[in-house]
Amino acid sequence: MPTVGLYVHIPFCERVCPYCDFAVVAVRKVEPELEARYVAALIREIESRAVEFEGAQLDTVYFGGGTPSLFRPEALAKILEAATRAFAASTPPREITLEVNPSTVERDRLPAFRSSGIDRISLGVQSFDDATLKRLGRAHKAHEARQTFTAARQAGFGNVSLDLILACPHQGFDAFARDLEEALALEPEHLSLYELTIEAGTPFEFAASRDQLAPPDDEVATRMLEHTAARSAGAGFERYEISNYARPGFASLHNQRYWAREAVLGVGTGAWSYEAPGARFRFGARRMNPRDLGAYFAAVGAGGDEGVESEVLTLEQARGEAIFLSLRRRTGVDARAFEAEFGGRPRKFYDEQIDRLMAAGLLAETESGDLRLSDRGLLLSDTVFADFV
Amino acid sequence: MKSFPQERIRNFCIVAHIDHGKSTLADRLMDETGAVTEREKQEQLLDSMDIERERGITIKAQTVRMVYRAQDGEEYLLNLIDTPGHVDFSYEVSRSLSACEGAVLVVDAAQGIEAQTLANTYLAIDADLEIIPAVNKIDLPSADPDRVAQEIEDIVGLDAADVIPVSAKSGVGMHELLEAIVEKVPPPTGEADVPTRALVFDAWFDTYVGAVMLVRVIEGRIKKRQRVKFMIKGSERETTNLSVYTPHQVEVKELGPGEVGAVVAGVKTLSDVLIGDTITTMDNPASEPLPGFQEVKPMVFAGLYPVDAEDYEDLKASLEKLKINDSSFDYEPETSMALGFGFRCGFLGFLHAEIIQERLEREFELNLITTAPTVRYRVVPKKGEAFEIESPAALPEATDIQAIEEPVVLATIHVPSEHLGQVLTLCQERRGVQKDMAVHGSRVQVRYLLPLNEIVTDFHDKLKSATRGYGSFDYELQGYQEASLVKLDIMVNGDPVDALSLIVHRDHAQSKGAELTRKLKEFIPRQQFAVAIQAAIGSKIIARTTVRALRKNVTAKCYGGDITRKRKLLEKQKAGKKRMKMVGSVEIPQEAFLAALKLGDS
Repeated sequence: MPTVGLYVHIPFCERVCPYCDFAVVAVRKVEPELEARYVAALIREIESRAVEFEGAQLDTVYFGGGTPSLFRPEALAKILEAATRAFAASTPPREITLEVNPSTVERDRLPAFRSSGIDRISLGVQSFDDATLKRLGRAHKAHEARQTFTAARQAGFGNVSLDLILACPHQGFDAFARDLEEALALEPEHLSLYELTIEAGTPFEFAASRDQLAPPDDEVATRMLEHTAARSAGAGFERYEISNYARPGFASLHNQRYWAREAVLGVGTGAWSYEAPGARFRFGARRMNPRDLGAYFAAVGAGGDEGVESEVLTLEQARGEAIFLSLRRRTGVDARAFEAEFGGRPRKFYDEQIDRLMAAGLLAETESGDLRLSDRGLLLSDTVFADFV
Repeated sequence: MKSFPQERIRNFCIVAHIDHGKSTLADRLMDETGAVTEREKQEQLLDSMDIERERGITIKAQTVRMVYRAQDGEEYLLNLIDTPGHVDFSYEVSRSLSACEGAVLVVDAAQGIEAQTLANTYLAIDADLEIIPAVNKIDLPSADPDRVAQEIEDIVGLDAADVIPVSAKSGVGMHELLEAIVEKVPPPTGEADVPTRALVFDAWFDTYVGAVMLVRVIEGRIKKRQRVKFMIKGSERETTNLSVYTPHQVEVKELGPGEVGAVVAGVKTLSDVLIGDTITTMDNPASEPLPGFQEVKPMVFAGLYPVDAEDYEDLKASLEKLKINDSSFDYEPETSMALGFGFRCGFLGFLHAEIIQERLEREFELNLITTAPTVRYRVVPKKGEAFEIESPAALPEATDIQAIEEPVVLATIHVPSEHLGQVLTLCQERRGVQKDMAVHGSRVQVRYLLPLNEIVTDFHDKLKSATRGYGSFDYELQGYQEASLVKLDIMVNGDPVDALSLIVHRDHAQSKGAELTRKLKEFIPRQQFAVAIQAAIGSKIIARTTVRALRKNVTAKCYGGDITRKRKLLEKQKAGKKRMKMVGSVEIPQEAFLAALKLGDS
């Protein structure tokens, strides 16, 4: 039976982080009217678009943002109910994740979030150093992150992930290593360690263009990445994707859908959906909702595709994505599965590239033709990927 | 086609600076004489190539025949002969001018006289042409026709009172201008019943008939189906077709003295046509060709290489096609260790080189790497005869060289006096020696002897930026002089990149080497290993930089829409890789080779 993941984007934030380029709307407080209106729009979108994934089992749900924990638990519960109804789910989703910010208000809501069916928390810690948090434009302090983590445990969350950012402005290697130790000390089930990405159009980009950001140099950032890989392995975490680490059995089911090229229905402003290759689109398709809140309300109200961007993938694009998304994962490219989908093992299409990358020590190949990035390949993954698109 | 007695024929050209409105004026004259229909007015008829239109440059001369009823009640035949309007083509200009008896000098009413205009005006005066001065664009708010008329009097020596104010755009002054052409330009004087001499002043290639030559019959006449002889080339042919342009092509049976037209005579390729050659007839041949013929020799050379070695045959075919339409450039196969198989091409000047490269990239969709342009040096070895080289690679070891001589030009520069300082500095930096200076009102004319190699890349751009676009220059070759020159080599991870070698003055070697290595560092992307970039004279390293190894290249987040975004970025990265050239194990992008052409920008 085909499955589908549901991504619910809740764009509201009390402040906008200077490095963020997601679809976000800054609000001092989410008023009940706004919350109700947005929830109604989400439900309407879920109901009208579920047909695109007709017959699919709802496998995972992910509330992302923005700051989805700014919504009241009842609101999220309503969305979950609507989703269960729309997909006529016979069994509950295997994983329901909520992104949570370390703040007092959200901490108090954790038990109610847990009661609504949410069973996984992704906590946006970013750093355990107050000075670094301040430079990142975050509102919370390190101790609030620890308190929120404890509260999540008390509320019964047995699957908690921590987000950390590495290579932050002014961050030295030791400061990052301390962040990592603090994170491990809390004994979470999952860690996401993202190198700070300077996105176009953000205040950080502006600062970086004027040399005012002072990120660690590449040498230091590389050591941070290498240290993360070694240290987390020592602590019993498996690096199952370039930036994601989990204890056995706790890899994110929802996020793995993206790299496995499995269907995801994305609802809310700026949300992306992916339809896996099938009857509707031979090589898959992606679409993005309008990023602007007003445009989103209008589009959902009209029930049409106003302001929606979409992309139907070609065979070559799908094949390239299959390679690079698989290579992002520890499991790599399964040559047989690849052959079943594309009519040949990777060597058939990328023989010369594979030889070259192996010679450069970036890629490893098994006898059956499975491919994986080497440790060095993990550091130069984009260099490797460029050969496959 | 109506025939006109010789005394009612006027052959003239328009001399103008780029943007001063030559094409618009030509259109307006055709309009005024009813040569074109409404629909045809949509386009400027004389400039037919895209690049010409974009750059406002006329590369190939053309000609138009117009009939004008003058105030005296008579109809006159006016032949407007177009001239190439840029600095690299002065010989072609001089040939076109020889086909005329008069020239309309067009000067922008706001901008005044520019160096190129003046250079061409002098050529026209040397060719004994009657000059009819006109100030154009008088309807511009910034127009100052009186000042410009005075400038014409001061600089060119024509009476300011004779300057005709016109606006080619609105049509003001067209009547006066046409009347002046009829009144002042003398009719052609050649006799009909003497041995024929016709000047070939331009030619182009036509797929169906081969070379089409534009000729001006100086004396005698040419008929269709007549045996003719090209006096300088020495070949004999039969004319198969004669025509004139109105601007539409109209066949004629003969061309008499003073007439201008196109001749087809079974000449297959343009390389068989010499611009400036004289056509005579076999039945009654002239004894001497017309004076003024010169062999056109390229002055500037550069290597052209396909980025993708597989495009070599395409490049070859494209060069052949271009050569068919532009006999002034030359090419021959060349091999570079760094770039593989390519061609050494010779051009009339740097602008000509740019135009050819642009046409290859645009019309033939080729991805090219151009090496830094060089000039033709004369090498006096310690043993043996002196010889010429057109590529740094051909320079012998320093120990075997007695002396190197380089071509020197006389550059005439026009500049508003407030920018004079910057221009003098620029010329000095370029090893210039001032010849003289003359002040005309607010403008200064300064003449410099400059080594040609100092002006082949960016002198024109530098002059423009130093003078906010108001400076202009023209040059002519003066000869050769000895100079202290050395070959500067570039090595990437120890491998010499021959395509980046330069011949430079010894005093500039250190700074050029440092600058070039620095520029290359900017353009060579970080690779999986460190890349050393060195500049050397012989075995002596004079500058060095290092591109550090790429340690990491990772996209942190890749969910949902990130995937599309990432894939597009990777595709772009891959396309960029295709435009890179492997030297040893180092990938060097095309831009790095271009950087070598743009030294002195930072």
